[in-house]
Amino acid sequence: MGMLENRFQDNVVVAKLDKLIGWARSTSPWYFQFGLACCAIEMMAAAASRHDLERLGMMPRSSPRQADVMIVAGTVTMKMALRVKKLYEQMADPKYVIAMGSCATSGGPYWQHGYHVLKGVDIVVPVDVYVPGCPPRPEALIEGLLKLQEKILDERPLTRKMA
Amino acid sequence: MSADQEKLIAELVEKGLAGDMDEINAIEDRVLRGKVKSALAKAKRAAKTTTTAAPAEEKRVAETIADTPPSDNPNQKFGQIIEDTFQGSLDAELNDTHIQLKPDNWFEIAKWLKSEPSLHFDSLQCHTGMDMGENMLEARYNLHSMTHDHKIEIRIAVSREKANIPSIEQIWRIGDWFERETYDMFGIFFDGHRDHRRMLLPEDWEGYPLRKDYEVQETYHGIAIPKVKEGWE
Repeated sequence: MGMLENRFQDNVVVAKLDKLIGWARSTSPWYFQFGLACCAIEMMAAAASRHDLERLGMMPRSSPRQADVMIVAGTVTMKMALRVKKLYEQMADPKYVIAMGSCATSGGPYWQHGYHVLKGVDIVVPVDVYVPGCPPRPEALIEGLLKLQEKILDERPLTRKMA
Repeated sequence: MSADQEKLIAELVEKGLAGDMDEINAIEDRVLRGKVKSALAKAKRAAKTTTTAAPAEEKRVAETIADTPPSDNPNQKFGQIIEDTFQGSLDAELNDTHIQLKPDNWFEIAKWLKSEPSLHFDSLQCHTGMDMGENMLEARYNLHSMTHDHKIEIRIAVSREKANIPSIEQIWRIGDWFERETYDMFGIFFDGHRDHRRMLLPEDWEGYPLRKDYEVQETYHGIAIPKVKEGWE
């Protein structure tokens, strides 16, 4: 922005629209509030006052239609897999998925013998960030969310994609 | 502690055991009084264990040598009562652990077990299934009476081909979900259940997972279910 920078009064910021939209979106990723197992407890702890996800602009939404990020927190059973997929499809674009914990990442402790457990939620929905742990501490989840913010920040929604 | 003091304590404990507490209570020194009392309690406890151990031993011996002991084991007692009331409902010999019944008139028996005032089994504490191998499945019921505080275990065995047991869901309402879970996991059908659906697994799941010969289906709605993962361990 070389030419325009510092040429105006105090409260005027000059930026590319593309980057500005990315910045705005990355700092308010509202997440879909649904938990499946013990990871949900850690997600709740992350949202509560000690760790406070609202610092990052993250607000729990109870409807997939209002959410940008789906945190799959817990064991996804075969019965739930179809519902997770349906919920993902109900979210408005742009949408992101975080696989929280071993179960959502790979099936975790049910990897070998859990006949009813989906071996990783990436089989049914595309995953952006994997958070390891069983369950991950709130700090780990927050790190995952920061990684997601970086990813959103790097996006250029207005730039035409090169073939 | 001096030898004098020890001697004094021993004397006082002797008196205390004989029932004379006045002298102990009259001791001025609190520390000494405490010591005497604790020694007395210890002595009493020791006396108690030696006196009670002997009769228990005698009793056990008496039980084993008796030819036909009048059993007060609830499974024996109530099993006999059930057999007296409903002829031919027992499926096996009476024993101490459970009552083995035939499935045929289980609903009537269950109704009677709950309503009969002298039995009054008003609580179904647990109900579960079991794969017994050799083509047999079994349903088990743990019954308890709040009024009389007695409990029994009922077992009903059925074959895989005809795994039907009358439902007791209308007698003990807790049986509703219990039976649905047993149906879900073992494939035992409960005739007369008003909401006979799977409990945990999806409606369109194939097979009953807790049966010993259960084979996992290959896909569920297009999602592959890997059987045993290679490269693990």
